[in-house]
Amino acid sequence: MTTKSLVAYENVVGHVAISQLRQLARDLAGARVVHVNSTKTGGGVAEILRWLVPLMNDLGLEASWEIIEGHNGFFNTTKTLHNGLQGSPVALPQSMINIYEETVAANADRLRPILETADFVFIHDPQPAFLLSLCPNRKGKWIWRCHIDVSHPNRKVWLYMKKLASGFDASIFSMPAFAQRLDHPQFIVAPSIDPLSEKNRELPQQEIDATLDHFAISKKLSILTQISRFDRFKDPVGVIRAFNMLNSSVDAQLVLAGGGATDDPEGAAVFEEVQDAAQGNDRIFVLMLPDDAPRTINALQRASAIVIQKSLQEGFGLTVAEAMWKSKPVIGGNVGGIRLQVHNHHTGFLVDTPEGAALRIREMLRQPVKIEEMGKTAKEFVTHNFLLTRHFREYLTLMLGLRRGLENYLVAV
Amino acid sequence: MAIMTEKTNMPFQVKDCTIITRMAGVETAVNLREMRERIAISPIECLFHHFCETLIRPTFDDPEFRNDLAVWSNRQLRDRVLAERLGIINPYSLDNFEQLRELVLEILDERLSELVYIPWVPRGNDFRFMMAVTVVFDSGITLVTPDDLVDQLPNFSHSSIYYHFIEARRRTPDKADDFSAWLVGFGSGTEHFLNALKGIDFCYLTLPELKQTLIEAFRGAKLETANDHQITRSI
Repeated sequence: MTTKSLVAYENVVGHVAISQLRQLARDLAGARVVHVNSTKTGGGVAEILRWLVPLMNDLGLEASWEIIEGHNGFFNTTKTLHNGLQGSPVALPQSMINIYEETVAANADRLRPILETADFVFIHDPQPAFLLSLCPNRKGKWIWRCHIDVSHPNRKVWLYMKKLASGFDASIFSMPAFAQRLDHPQFIVAPSIDPLSEKNRELPQQEIDATLDHFAISKKLSILTQISRFDRFKDPVGVIRAFNMLNSSVDAQLVLAGGGATDDPEGAAVFEEVQDAAQGNDRIFVLMLPDDAPRTINALQRASAIVIQKSLQEGFGLTVAEAMWKSKPVIGGNVGGIRLQVHNHHTGFLVDTPEGAALRIREMLRQPVKIEEMGKTAKEFVTHNFLLTRHFREYLTLMLGLRRGLENYLVAV
Repeated sequence: MAIMTEKTNMPFQVKDCTIITRMAGVETAVNLREMRERIAISPIECLFHHFCETLIRPTFDDPEFRNDLAVWSNRQLRDRVLAERLGIINPYSLDNFEQLRELVLEILDERLSELVYIPWVPRGNDFRFMMAVTVVFDSGITLVTPDDLVDQLPNFSHSSIYYHFIEARRRTPDKADDFSAWLVGFGSGTEHFLNALKGIDFCYLTLPELKQTLIEAFRGAKLETANDHQITRSI
């Protein structure tokens, strides 16, 4: 695991924010914290744990990260659980439940000593949730951290998951809208971005220019960018429609960049649709990026005048926070977590249609001062609300609250 | 010049705080009537959160309305009349949060009686009732004299300002801010500070704005106190 230190973040968020974390953590010094998920590579959860675990250790907690191991049958089952919790009409036969429970039980034999003696156990997403019932002598607080949107789950899948989740001391959801009612306290902790990651750190102008040269994108025209998987819910064709509506009235180019087509048959089909829609317009760049291209994404976002995220359905939509962190106003779909990040006339605009996107692009490109002002507000908003330091502070606050009891709204440490 | 006070006082341990929000366990509201029904039964902490903790919660500062009910009425119900009536409420002008509940219910009932239909919001825009846990911890700053308050205030976090100047009004029996309660303990010599604090209309300020207002108020009070001393000596 990489070593990370809070000192590095002091230049970004200031001394006070870091000092608050240190003061909060004093009361948790030596606490044994175990995070459990299903993979150390790939995915948003692993990305969070890669900074959260080292930073907890940096502040004197004894944090570790465990994964549950399984075979294809297990991961097919957990994928079914995952999709069902997000509302897909999946079947969850008893045979799948058996595979799931047997695999977690095999992992429990290995993990039980560390889990039962921990002061706090964070179980991330549904995959390891069955561990709780296999650790009867648990000493600490167990928290189910649900990273997915379970607001409209498949009922049968939810009934099973609810049974697993109900034994926890608390759960955490990313947004109030993503939560389900449970018999224990349900906390809300929004996701965050790491300002010092390859995707978000400052880049030299030469590298940004080189990225544009590499893709033959002009440096003379304003750049509008949407970074996202080639997925219909991200509405890349709608973005092209919006751009085509104003092509003659603005001097701009559109970049649609993302990955996901190589291992996803639907992604490949959407990529083709997007290429077809872009055909004949040499100001539209459709870029299939490799899976791991954070600096390219960083450079494209930084080169943009406006970033677009015109999703039709969205989880939290952290690409919005990434763009805003780079002082870019965002034109975002009026859905999901984008609505928590984009505030009309302040950090960008929420839109419901390609026409709405075209209208706002044209309005903004004619007012460079407004773009600059909105970008400044956007960066400030992200600095206070969507950086990992806030995320970390809320974890510490939750742990202190759980340890001291939640009977009173005020908890003194 | 140092501020001369009648008495010495206990040191002021500056606290800091953070909050973590949680679901209040109340069903969401999709229309105005449901909002009224839910407000009637929601925990007091829930009202406190939606009216007072918006300042400290990670959120975008709505430039028009400060409390969540007014923001929802404006943005989701599209009822500006209701938003304005809810937006003007100052929860700290009331004796307690049960009075706040009564006032909000009165406003909602009045609006329901005026409308010929019940305004609804689209699915997904329903009002979700939240509350929060506040964890209070030492900031590491100790004040011994009123001068220290003037000097150290720029180093306070926004959440320290919130805890001592705003949250204190809920926590303390006489609903005073912690700075005033401490300054009173010095006896005479701190009157200008107490008057300055009393004059701050904090309800419509963000925490950075409030911090700046306090810094300026204390600097002004210190100057006035120094002038008083000079006049007394020349007499």
